[in-house]
Amino acid sequence: MIAFLTFATVVLLFVVLVLIARASELTADLKNGKVDFTNQSKWNGYFLLAFLVFMLVGSAMCFKILMPVMVPKAASIHGVNTDYLFNVTMIIILIVFVLTHIALFWFAYRYNESHGHEAYFYPHNNTLEVIWTVIPAIVLTVLIAMGMYEWMRIFNPDARDKNMMVIEATGKQFNWMLRYSGKDGKFGERIIDQAHVSPTNELGINWEDPKSHDDFMADKLYLVKNKPVLMKLGAQDVLHSFFLPHFRVKMDCVPGIPTEFYFVPTMTTVEMQQYLSTQPWWQTINPETGQPRWQTFKYELACAELCGKSHYGMQRDVVVVEQKEYDEWFAKQTAIYTPPVTEVPVAVDTTTKEEPKKPTAMLEKK
Amino acid sequence: METATAHATHHEHVHGHEEHHHEETFLTKYIFSQDHKMISKQFLITGIFWGIVGGLLSILFRLQLGWPNETFPFLETFLGKWAEGGKISQEFYYALVTMHGTILVFFVLTGGLSGTFANLLIPYQVGSRDMASPFINMLSYWFFLGAGVVMFFSFFIQTGPASGGWTAYPPINGLRDTSVNLGSGLGFDLWILGMTLFIISALLGGLNYIATVLNMRTKGMNMFRLPLTIWALMFTAVIGVLSFPALLAGCVLLEFDRLLDTSFYLNNIIINGNLLGYKGGSPILFQHLFWFLGHPEVYIIILPAMGLVSEVLSTQSRKPIFGYKAMIFSILAILVLSFIVWAHHMFVTGLNPNLGAVFTLFTLLIAIPSAIKVFNWIGTVWKGKVRLVTPALFAIGFVSMFITGGLTGIILGNSAIDIQLHDTMFVVAHFHIVMGVSAFFGMFAGVYHWFPRLYGRYMNETLGQIHFYITLIGAYAIFFPMHFMTGLPRRYYTYANFETFNNFNFLAEFISIAAIIVFAGQLIFVVNFFYSIFKGRKVAAEKTVDGHDYANPWGTTTLEWTSPIERLHGNWPGDIPTVHRWPYDYSVNGREFIPQDEPLKPGEVPHE
Repeated sequence: MIAFLTFATVVLLFVVLVLIARASELTADLKNGKVDFTNQSKWNGYFLLAFLVFMLVGSAMCFKILMPVMVPKAASIHGVNTDYLFNVTMIIILIVFVLTHIALFWFAYRYNESHGHEAYFYPHNNTLEVIWTVIPAIVLTVLIAMGMYEWMRIFNPDARDKNMMVIEATGKQFNWMLRYSGKDGKFGERIIDQAHVSPTNELGINWEDPKSHDDFMADKLYLVKNKPVLMKLGAQDVLHSFFLPHFRVKMDCVPGIPTEFYFVPTMTTVEMQQYLSTQPWWQTINPETGQPRWQTFKYELACAELCGKSHYGMQRDVVVVEQKEYDEWFAKQTAIYTPPVTEVPVAVDTTTKEEPKKPTAMLEKK
Repeated sequence: METATAHATHHEHVHGHEEHHHEETFLTKYIFSQDHKMISKQFLITGIFWGIVGGLLSILFRLQLGWPNETFPFLETFLGKWAEGGKISQEFYYALVTMHGTILVFFVLTGGLSGTFANLLIPYQVGSRDMASPFINMLSYWFFLGAGVVMFFSFFIQTGPASGGWTAYPPINGLRDTSVNLGSGLGFDLWILGMTLFIISALLGGLNYIATVLNMRTKGMNMFRLPLTIWALMFTAVIGVLSFPALLAGCVLLEFDRLLDTSFYLNNIIINGNLLGYKGGSPILFQHLFWFLGHPEVYIIILPAMGLVSEVLSTQSRKPIFGYKAMIFSILAILVLSFIVWAHHMFVTGLNPNLGAVFTLFTLLIAIPSAIKVFNWIGTVWKGKVRLVTPALFAIGFVSMFITGGLTGIILGNSAIDIQLHDTMFVVAHFHIVMGVSAFFGMFAGVYHWFPRLYGRYMNETLGQIHFYITLIGAYAIFFPMHFMTGLPRRYYTYANFETFNNFNFLAEFISIAAIIVFAGQLIFVVNFFYSIFKGRKVAAEKTVDGHDYANPWGTTTLEWTSPIERLHGNWPGDIPTVHRWPYDYSVNGREFIPQDEPLKPGEVPHE
């Protein structure tokens, strides 16, 4: 029945369209076999003007309604700078957007043929061309300079703090593996070959390297406020992209090619919640949880490069805390390494050295 | 009429020149046609078919995005296992977004747009009886159709069509293992085959367009008397000929990795803890090859639209295009710059930061010629006598869209800001406005404007205007608010897993509703198009010479209307007209327009 009704509606709509077409052809103003469009130009002039108003009001409403819902302010040092750059550029382009649109639609209204004037033969003006080449060029040069300066600062290895934390994040379908270096502050070596990589040791960690013995895998990305962190990034199977929206951090994870991103978180999770609790939109109740939105706020890690059917599910919580709280959490983590079973004293004639067994730690925590 | 005398003089010395009367069968006239006008129609109608398919795919995934918690039982009826229980499956969702991109970028806005208008306008406007090689031109269409058949076929195989993104990045598309990605099995092989055929089509077409413009211009038609449509279409073809081979090479190597286990793009791939045997390749290499085409590709899409809009705006404003030469040189600047900006798609792939800085520089520089063009279009409307009919409306809509979309490019092109915005909905909003919707507006302007030339009838004006307002308002309603989803990653099946991204559901629903309305609005165009082919108002003859009816419906200066209303094989029954002046003599010397083939009056200085 529904199928029939849909079909009937479609047919009916088609008939209506054809009838409109027919009727409009019959009522057209014909002059010497050509349609006189003056009247239509007049109306379309008004419509375009109305559209201009609609668009400017609509854009303003978008800013008013949607801006408060956006991902909140940056919680990292470079993020504040790139947001500033974003805002500066946005203001400039908004000015251009408004002015060019007013000109475009106003001219279309003012100079449509219904006003009974003649067109003005005015093929070019080199002064004008130079003006509207040079002004954009100057503005763009400033934006390029600001952008490049910030970009080079973000990726300048010499400017890094020597006391930074180093965390390793490896993407795979469909999860993140987050490895911390443990108490020694050094990662165990990884060797990507058939002897090391296995379903129980996906990262190919070399257990003979003592540095690997205190490495641990975390279920959440723990960061310390104001402590610089270098993310060492990689991927197992396909491309992933390490994305921390609140920190303005994004870097692709590429199988076989290491990448990295250095940044400094500046607000703890609690501080961000406190800040958001002052924002009207974040004070509203989330119907799904029944709580004000700021209360359930958390930093998150996402994947930003299409990696397969569950690409949208590669979520991990990110927690930024003070050093003290971090130390407490750190102390509770258990190393992935399980020592091989040592020689049993009962055994007789153990002159040959026993090979260390491979540990069977789960690399992944849920 | 002055033009009448001009024609009469041409015909006096061609009376013995009877038309060629080939025996035209249905097969040679409509199927294996070598006539540029018929090939143009073939491209256009195939393009419309693909436009409907591509649009429909977007409606399907907008259903999922707008109502992630709802089920739509009718989907299961149509899609079967792809929408069990009325919910589009994850695999099919990714197949939809992948094929939506592929179809609209290549099959509609490259093949459909360039194919239609290069074929229609180049021979008519340069004054040539056909393309340099009509046979190669026919092959170009048949390869295009073949590519489409292969792509369409891939929807009906067990594992479904390609689903690793229209950018075809390895390793997800480099492994034939369907457990990694369902669409990376046979579906992606077909994608590569389809794209290979498509690239052959684009190259055959492009070489032909360039050869025709350079070698087959009529007497007096020097380069600076070419209308901007021709400049744009020629430069488009140049970009295509130089950049498509890079994609072909990239795709062939990718297929080697898939079928022959080579390691061009693969290195140390570990699937579920099992190390595969690939060594030494680089997934990033493919991205360089892909975007070496992929970025120029957006100019392949937008330049023809720019050319069409320049011509339509000037004609309908009854005023010369403002800054003709500035327009040509800005297209040239875009052409050159388009080849050295590709890595702005790769700012966060871990490429050398110095390289990122260089690409930021060139990317933002490309805004300058684009700005020049926008100001010149606005300058063209200024003090014109604008006839606000459908083609003019779409041309104005194009300028509006191009401004809006182009401006956000200044944000995205700046690498430092792009860190946050890369691969988010902001990018989706940006490129849909600047190359998707804009190019469609340009194409619609062209179709409405040149429909009388194609079919000898007009498209219906009322339906055209309804179509315009629905599309203009609807497209802004879809893509303007989408910019505010900054930080929401694109290609997400649902945002429900993230506290951070889950706030915009009301907006996603709004966008989906707008998308459905806009799609329905496009059906008005389709109805209008096919209705008008058969029942549209006929172009009335303004004069008859030697049994051929002539008209000039929009009062254009260019050569296409010096040919009879009827679409003759060879375009002109007599000699090809000689060109005496530039193409933009509108509202000059007390005349509304002076056709290009009208000789200069004694003492008249040509506009050079």
